[in-house]
Amino acid sequence: MQIDIKDIDRIVGEVGIQQHAVIPILQAIQKRYNYLPEEALRRVCEISGITPARIVGVASFYSQFRFHPAGDHMIKVCVGTACHVKGAEQVYDAMKRELDLDETEDTTASGKYTIEKVNCLGCCTLAPVVQIDHVTYGHVSTSQVASILSDFESQKGAAGKKQFKYADGGEVKGEIRIGLGSCCVASGSDEIRDAVKDTIDRNGLNVKLKQVGCVGMCHQVPLVEIVPSKGETTLYSKVKAADVEQIVEQHFQPERLLKRISNRILRAADNIRDDSRWIGVDRYSLDVREKHVSSFLGKQVPMATEFRGIINPIDVEEYKERNGFRGLARVLSEMTPGQVIHEITESGIRGRGGAGFPTGKKWSLVAAGDSKTKYVICNGDEGDPGAFMDRMLLESYPYRIIEGMIAAGYAVGATEGILYIRAEYPLAVNRIMQALEICREQGYLGKNILGSGFDFDLTVYQGAGAFVCGEETALIESIEGKRGFPRIRPPFPAVQGLWGKPTLVNNTESFAQIAYILKNSAQAFNRIGTETSRGTKVFALAGKVVRGGLIEVPMGMTIREVVEEIGGGVANGRTFKAVQIGGPSGGCVPSWKSGTAIDFESLKEVGAMMGSGGLVVLDDTDCMVDIARYFLTFTQNEACGKCSFGRIGTKRMLEILEKITSGRGTEKDIENLEHLAHWTKKGSLCGLCSTAPNPILSTLKYFRDEYEAHIRGECPVGKCKELIRYEITDDCIGCTLCAQDCPVDAIAFRPHEKHEVNNELCIKCDGCRQVCPEDAVITK
Amino acid sequence: MVKLKIDNREVEAEIGSVLIDVIRGEGTEVPSMCYLKDAEHFTSCMVCVVKDKTTGTIIPSCSLKAEEGMDIISMDEEVQEARKTALELLLSEHVGDCEAPCQITCPAHMDIPLMNRLLAEGKFLEALKVVKKDIALPSVLGRICPAPCEGACRRKSIDEPISICLLKRFAGDCDIGSDAQWIPENEPDTGKQVTIIGAGPAGLAAAYHLALKGHNCTILDRNRKAGGSLLKEVSTEELPADVLQHEISLIGQTGVAFKLNTSVDAKGFMELTRSCDAVVVAVGKGESGVSEWGLPMHSKGVETEGRTYRIGDSNVFVVGSALKPSKMAIRVLGQGKEVAFSVDQFLAKKPVSGEKFIFNSRFGKLLPGEYAEYLKESKEGVRLEPEVAARGFSAEQVMEEARRCLHCDCRDLQSCKLRAYSDEYHADQKRFRSEERLLCRKLDQHDRVIYEPSKCIKCGICVRITEKYKEDFGLTFIGRGFDVVIGIPFNETLRNGLKIAADEVVTSCPTGALSLK
Repeated sequence: MQIDIKDIDRIVGEVGIQQHAVIPILQAIQKRYNYLPEEALRRVCEISGITPARIVGVASFYSQFRFHPAGDHMIKVCVGTACHVKGAEQVYDAMKRELDLDETEDTTASGKYTIEKVNCLGCCTLAPVVQIDHVTYGHVSTSQVASILSDFESQKGAAGKKQFKYADGGEVKGEIRIGLGSCCVASGSDEIRDAVKDTIDRNGLNVKLKQVGCVGMCHQVPLVEIVPSKGETTLYSKVKAADVEQIVEQHFQPERLLKRISNRILRAADNIRDDSRWIGVDRYSLDVREKHVSSFLGKQVPMATEFRGIINPIDVEEYKERNGFRGLARVLSEMTPGQVIHEITESGIRGRGGAGFPTGKKWSLVAAGDSKTKYVICNGDEGDPGAFMDRMLLESYPYRIIEGMIAAGYAVGATEGILYIRAEYPLAVNRIMQALEICREQGYLGKNILGSGFDFDLTVYQGAGAFVCGEETALIESIEGKRGFPRIRPPFPAVQGLWGKPTLVNNTESFAQIAYILKNSAQAFNRIGTETSRGTKVFALAGKVVRGGLIEVPMGMTIREVVEEIGGGVANGRTFKAVQIGGPSGGCVPSWKSGTAIDFESLKEVGAMMGSGGLVVLDDTDCMVDIARYFLTFTQNEACGKCSFGRIGTKRMLEILEKITSGRGTEKDIENLEHLAHWTKKGSLCGLCSTAPNPILSTLKYFRDEYEAHIRGECPVGKCKELIRYEITDDCIGCTLCAQDCPVDAIAFRPHEKHEVNNELCIKCDGCRQVCPEDAVITK
Repeated sequence: MVKLKIDNREVEAEIGSVLIDVIRGEGTEVPSMCYLKDAEHFTSCMVCVVKDKTTGTIIPSCSLKAEEGMDIISMDEEVQEARKTALELLLSEHVGDCEAPCQITCPAHMDIPLMNRLLAEGKFLEALKVVKKDIALPSVLGRICPAPCEGACRRKSIDEPISICLLKRFAGDCDIGSDAQWIPENEPDTGKQVTIIGAGPAGLAAAYHLALKGHNCTILDRNRKAGGSLLKEVSTEELPADVLQHEISLIGQTGVAFKLNTSVDAKGFMELTRSCDAVVVAVGKGESGVSEWGLPMHSKGVETEGRTYRIGDSNVFVVGSALKPSKMAIRVLGQGKEVAFSVDQFLAKKPVSGEKFIFNSRFGKLLPGEYAEYLKESKEGVRLEPEVAARGFSAEQVMEEARRCLHCDCRDLQSCKLRAYSDEYHADQKRFRSEERLLCRKLDQHDRVIYEPSKCIKCGICVRITEKYKEDFGLTFIGRGFDVVIGIPFNETLRNGLKIAADEVVTSCPTGALSLK
């Protein structure tokens, strides 16, 4: 590609010439060219203080950056935990076959598509999920990849998003709330919003249409809530655009009868158009007035997610109406920094990032630092496959997090703060940026906040895609414009952090809960939870559960309560086997330990950990060795490569697991695996790799028999590709669907006869099993 | 100053001093590869770990500062295991040979690659000196050796092995007939008397190597000529008598005395063990008399203590076919060298342990993708054959053939920390070896430096040094995680990467990844 030197000069001029400007510069170049042309990077080195060693070292560290041009459209196949257990790998393989790409290629010869795996698109409840540019397809099966592509083709160039309009004048009869969290958007809430708007316009209704943040009920998206000025609120789930008119009509009488009749005709037309739509995203059932909603929400205690589904994320007036910034006002006008820290300590809150360090203690350490300059950092570098709490909080409650950060700044004596948010979360970045602007206008940020004499401001730093940067020292290195290599602690960031100054790094959820504590009181927080783990914890509940979504539960609730009462039990009549808690750092807790309370200590005791808050339910079709291998694939891929144990230990453990799941393992391999797990845990430099063995250690502890079965050459649940064969039972009706679907012609086309799978040819894409209407395809 | 405990001893350290320096200052050695004094720590290799007694955690001593009240254990079973595991992980991806496969395979452990390089440069006498360090009879062996080294030669997988045996023959023959024949210099006289029974290849080699170590050697043989099986079992066509006699006479010139036509019976043997400081039995195979000398026997010959060749804790040592019949002269010749080492230990009143095996990194077969890399240091072309087989190579042919050598041996054998620590901690390279390995590459576009990435442990010392020197391009980490490599930005040449810092980078590299050509 021809690059324009002037572009590069402009970018550097805007971003800066210091070494630490390197990541934002690279992001800007990539935005401009869609990859990083070498010529551009050389130019940056010529005109800035950034050395070639630095720019190449940094650019090659973060997975956001590409060194080769990408195709016109990006196909992202989510391989997060929830998608993995629902067959994402096979979807990825099928998509690659469809695009005719070999193992080493990621971009089609025509340059039209580039395919990549992503760790979590945050739509776990729609798993498996494929995203092409900004269109998201949920519940994708291997046999649907072709129709997804053609659907995408047909959509290209379709009219852009319509401008949102309110109905004008008159008395407002009520409010229609539509969720606009990432899950909702992915499931089509934009379309719903447009349909609602159309309905309102056409009927001339005086109804307020309101977008709200994540409701948490991601298993029911898209959600539409009707809140009439008088009378009861009604919540509709899994709404289709075509249903909107009827729903709206049911609650709000159009002004004129005539208009209503004409609407019916129009609606019929709508339906016809609708039927022709691609149906990859599950058809949303009509008339669902969700009965289980009360139990889904009932046991939850929203603190970080207070007013969820009610408030408009970006509406600062509404936030204030609901007592937002009141805690901050109290802090700034009535309390000394010491009193604020005391309040936080009293609340008993511990860091929500996973390790559970007492927040009050951390604040005291930073406050005690003898330095004029100190920093507050919000760690929003969530990268865990199957967890998206931070993203939801940033998208839905930006003011709450900002409020927590300002208070923290006041308490520890910092005047500058940084929100470190993944660049993969563009919605979160935008919302926060907007919110920061509004906060400055309203005097919550900047000089002399609320007349208190306290100065504080916040900026956003976009993480460039490295899971290890969730580790606080690596995060700091990254802000300093370096590779995200963690540093040994001590010194802790609280003593010597960003630019060598005392730095407070707290998790996003922690800040949201701090805002709650300061608004309500330490007691309001610490009366919930257990002796050592106070308050609530937000989890992303997903996997083989009836109702997945984002939940906030009191500490001390048992795993069983979460799975059965909130999640509605295991889906599809299968048996509950285990939960994977804490993602790649966590472990698998078997069903017979599901009486375990969810708190920092109890989880650690059973070999899991709070981690970032992923909670994936597994059923009897999930292979535990495969789960361990899955997580090791993730951590091995994300390990920074600095220390021997992390760099080589994770790789060797993964190799052993691959050997075992492919049936080539030996007893000696299990022994070596345990040895490596022990030493990688004990010897690794930072938390990423020292917790990486947990999924192995916990599955070895509770499901050792499954490892041994693989050594004998069998995968007990029929999951591991190399160890299974596909067979067709007598239930086969000879419909040929499987034969038509098979990409390698391993099933002969013989109508009305029982089909057979030629396992020599079979590539185990699982397509036949998925399309069979009689469930006659089984694995052995 | 801060007060802390190292191995339960109270010590004081300057504020801000690094733990590893404090421990080393106390006289306790701590291994480390990525530590670069006065530069920012990097915490990479993890072989410097020690134990924090208070918390029971394993911590890298190169990266933590000594603090008041610390309680450090520098070595215990767990620390030992941690260091060993760290080394084994590093070795599992370390693709490179320490010693070349040919040298490892050679029963006399001769430094074949060095000989090749000297021959290639025409430094024949220098080459001879290298050969004679390990082989007492190079001209002889150059004619009769089955050359197991050539079976191991990496060049074999590309085309044909180097003609090592003939090269060695040339080296052995190179000063025959010249006025000043080279005789190695002996170490100072120890005054010790050693009798060697048997003037076959094993006995000759033992005597030669013992003489070099300064001992007074006498070889007894019941035959009227020295040579043993070399006389009896090898035709004079293969090994002309004058070649053998010439090399035996050279051994004589090192001060070894020959008493031929002398039989030893049981009584005579007892007497020898009393009158001499040590006796080496090298009587060859099936010598019936030996069984009466009171030596422990097994079905095939005399039984000795493992690699020391010693009988119990006596002053008697046994080598060669007397132990187990061997047709390979080079093998018994090697034993002659090894027994000399044991006898020397014995005479010096040191524990007799025999010659130690030093750790050697090995990586198996060369893959086709690596041929071109290895040929970079070599000359293309097939194996040469002498024009007249009986005459061996000409000097020109020798130089040409020796240039075919691939330089498989590592340039940093002596200074490589990975090798030294792996040896010290008995690390097993195969323990975590994976099915796939890195491909060897040799980056040689620099006048003086050669870079072999597959030997790199990613400690980042070179990255830190080139940064310090403000190299235009320097070296940097490229990629992330397991696949990270040290490379030159923008695929520039090694020459452009190391314009000013080459020397310091090479000296500081803990392995043979970066070395001088």
